[in-house]
Amino acid sequence: MSPFQQHRSLSLLPEGAVFLTETATLIVADIHLGKSAAFRAKGLPIPEGDSARDLSRLLALANKSHAAELVIAGDLFHAPTGVTPELEAALALFMTRLGMPLTLVVGNHDVKIPRFPAGLRSVPHLDLEERIRIVHDPAHASGDRLHIAGHWHPVVKIPDGKRTSLRLPCFLFRKNTLVVPAFGSFTGGSILDAKADDRVFVALREQVVELPAALLS
Amino acid sequence: MHVSALQPFFDQKGWQPFDFQKQTWDAYLAGKSGLLHAPTGLGKTLAVYLGPLVESNGSACQVLWLTPLRALAADTLRALREPLAEIAPHLEAEARTGDTPAALRARLRKKLPHTLVTTPESLSLMLTHADFAEKLSGLRCVIVDEWHELLGTKRGVQTELCLARLRAWFPGLRIWGLSATLGNLTEARQALLGSAFAGSVEVTADLNKSIVIETLIPKEMERFPWSGHIGTRLARQVADEIEKANVTLLFTNTRSQTEIWFQELLALRPRWKDKLAMHHGSLDRAERDHAENGLRDGSLKCVVATSSLDLGVDFSPVDQVIQVGSPKGIARLLQRAGRSGHQPGSVSRIVGVPTHALELVEFAAARDAALARNVESRTPLKRPLDLLVQHLVTCAIGTPFEAEAMRREIQSCHAFVELTDAEWQWALGFISNGGGALAAYPRYHKARIEQGCYTVDDKQLIARHRLGIGTISSDPAVSVKFANGHTLGTVEESFISRIKPGAAFVFGGRQLALVRFRDRTATVKPAGRVLKGQVAIWGGSKFPLSTELSHAVARRLQGHGTPSLEMEAVAPILVIQKKWSRLPDDESLLVEHARSREGEHLFFYPFAGRLVHEGLAALVAFRISRESGESIHTTQNDYGFSLTGKRGLVLDEDTLRLHLAGENLLDDLVACMNTAELARRQFREIARVSGLILQTMPGKKDLSQRELQSSAALIYEVLDRYDPGNLLLVQSRREIMEKQLELTRLSAVIRRLESAPMHLVETEHLTPMAFPLWADRLSATLPAADAATRLETMLRTLNQAAGQP
Repeated sequence: MSPFQQHRSLSLLPEGAVFLTETATLIVADIHLGKSAAFRAKGLPIPEGDSARDLSRLLALANKSHAAELVIAGDLFHAPTGVTPELEAALALFMTRLGMPLTLVVGNHDVKIPRFPAGLRSVPHLDLEERIRIVHDPAHASGDRLHIAGHWHPVVKIPDGKRTSLRLPCFLFRKNTLVVPAFGSFTGGSILDAKADDRVFVALREQVVELPAALLS
Repeated sequence: MHVSALQPFFDQKGWQPFDFQKQTWDAYLAGKSGLLHAPTGLGKTLAVYLGPLVESNGSACQVLWLTPLRALAADTLRALREPLAEIAPHLEAEARTGDTPAALRARLRKKLPHTLVTTPESLSLMLTHADFAEKLSGLRCVIVDEWHELLGTKRGVQTELCLARLRAWFPGLRIWGLSATLGNLTEARQALLGSAFAGSVEVTADLNKSIVIETLIPKEMERFPWSGHIGTRLARQVADEIEKANVTLLFTNTRSQTEIWFQELLALRPRWKDKLAMHHGSLDRAERDHAENGLRDGSLKCVVATSSLDLGVDFSPVDQVIQVGSPKGIARLLQRAGRSGHQPGSVSRIVGVPTHALELVEFAAARDAALARNVESRTPLKRPLDLLVQHLVTCAIGTPFEAEAMRREIQSCHAFVELTDAEWQWALGFISNGGGALAAYPRYHKARIEQGCYTVDDKQLIARHRLGIGTISSDPAVSVKFANGHTLGTVEESFISRIKPGAAFVFGGRQLALVRFRDRTATVKPAGRVLKGQVAIWGGSKFPLSTELSHAVARRLQGHGTPSLEMEAVAPILVIQKKWSRLPDDESLLVEHARSREGEHLFFYPFAGRLVHEGLAALVAFRISRESGESIHTTQNDYGFSLTGKRGLVLDEDTLRLHLAGENLLDDLVACMNTAELARRQFREIARVSGLILQTMPGKKDLSQRELQSSAALIYEVLDRYDPGNLLLVQSRREIMEKQLELTRLSAVIRRLESAPMHLVETEHLTPMAFPLWADRLSATLPAADAATRLETMLRTLNQAAGQP
């Protein structure tokens, strides 16, 4: 069920993805493949593992949701130094197994990648259904249609009144833009500075729930 | 030159060398290393410095002087240049610290002076320069000032590692440490000297430093003691004491307390407006300089300070020191007392100001222990691997090293004597190719092995490593500025984010109104008179009462010691405690049981300090609720802890002993303290020291580094998932247990309690000892539940509040 009156075909998945039922489109953002490799290339000993993990999570999600098409709302890659032959091979295997069109809305990190793998369609932005546009940076939203974006890696911080707080990745709906959480495991988050009229959704067990405004202040 | 060459210097000053000074010169000139333990004062500096001066030849660098605080470097330099000018006017002394201007730094890169004053971090940094060994080729002596401050810290271990490097370069090197009184001076000397310990000496300056510890007795003793209060009730009496003295240094235990006392004194004596200053670690350097200079030239009446003024600097005009609140430890009280009567032979006097009644006992007890010189020990750290890997990279940048020789060098340090094969191999792997978990680190390299030697030659890597040298982790702070750019200092984000624009707060002794908070800067303006703001608060752990002082307090409560004003004042309260229950001590365990509207309470008094009590409270609560399912609320202070539950807290010796047993201690603590979350926090420092997160240039945003930014929490998770055997994770868990719970002390207390007699008392009222525990409802215990459960609880609470089902 969609939390948005005007867009009944849109649903939020607890894995941190958006699903459009009408076109069976699965949308995720900010995977940052090859991030640990980019760190290692600069002499920082961060172990490998997350890129493979994220690709297999994504594959499982695509199958489970019966998607017909997968869209990455930017930052599939992290940095050119992270695009190793191993990663290229893993990505090729992923795309074969995926068996559906894969579109990348090019993000600020992707821009630096010299060559995208064959079979990956890349676009600056993507218009879907009626009045839905996918961009990477929420700042590129304009007009009154619904935008789905990434880039911010939104995280909500909820104080529990006992000097501690919860930090949870979240969906943020602000004005006409839905910002999705970062899908990648080795991606930080930035704590959102909640504004009036923001709507914030988090995964709670197997569902996505909207946070009451009282928890946001 | 000969020792006799020093005589004219002393004659001219009209001084007589002290015995300890002569002993130190003789030992030094006989080629020995050692530790000099003496009260603060000029005498120490001359004792360790004149030996090396006497035997100087040529102007090459012969003496390295390490100081723990760069703020002390300028004062140290002044103190060294004085005898230098008299005895060897052709020789130079300079300081090289993080504060040194670029021009002087460049000059020092070319040629080092005869005496170089520096910090452990700057010394480490200099080790990364290939020609450093050559420049130091005339080095004869390293002097480590205030060694007791470094001991027991990672900076102390960094010092040990640097000294090992220097010892390996110059086998005849003499190393001298200066230390205040410690309970473990021999161990302190072992840690300082490592493999050079054999044949070294300990020199004690027995100057019979007179110390007077007095206490302000409240004119009206309240009936019950309270804890956790700021205790400005005695402010009027304190102001009177300040009035009587020339220059007063008033110490508090926290930065917030400093702010509060400053406001309070100003309100009581508005005419002191320009004669009153404050000093704490979050104030801007200029503000602190103002306070320090005022103390030095005696132009201020009083400075309100935290431990930021505990160290070194000679403030001769100070003739009175006041300690507000618990002294927490004997060494600390002695150190603070020593800030007055700085000259050899004069009396150091400190006035204690209790903030609640039981602190009267603490001051009496501290005096007992101080007079008996029963001072705390500082336990040196063992095998901090984050520092080891940092140091190995530092060395590899400077001069390529061969693994076996380096291992011998590292193990010549006290901290790494017990370094295992596994740890050493892991460390080498960490800095080169990923080591044991090689498969998890494809394409990683930092140090390369060239002709059997580890070396680092990537320029970018070297630059980044230099930036990251050092161990003090500074949590990101928010700077407080006026719109014109004048900086006042820093506050924590958690504090400032709660202040709304336009609202007032107190910081740096000023009433400020927040204009805006953006990009780690809080822009402020002076608040109008009407606005009364919140005082800035900082996190950070509170010191627990030391074992030595706890013991002295317990003895006082049992009636030991000479009659004193403090005990006389607190007597009526102790009489009530004795009548309703009994007086606790640290040889048996008193447990009280009481009922109130909230349910049942158990109060335990192990006398082991706040941190240990926090761990014990969580442990016992966890074990009880595991059986009964009841939720239990805990509180703790320095004397004991309390449990509160709706029902089921029984006063039964067998049951209590079971819950306090040492069996499964570690597992139960891990289960009840949310150690995973705590370890993740502790990991920030380890990640920084070991080079897993990059240090950014202060104030600079380096865009090319952005792709390499990550939070320590995230790296902790990645390591935990893909390289769970990483020894830095193990270190993080170990450090947090020690830091958060004083695990070593907690284990010792558990052992003591297992065989100690137990006194169980059913009380009708809350006793004077129980009352502060009951009153302190703020529990610092972290919630142990997972995120989903916590969120569900919050949502449920919210729904209930809104009257929904």
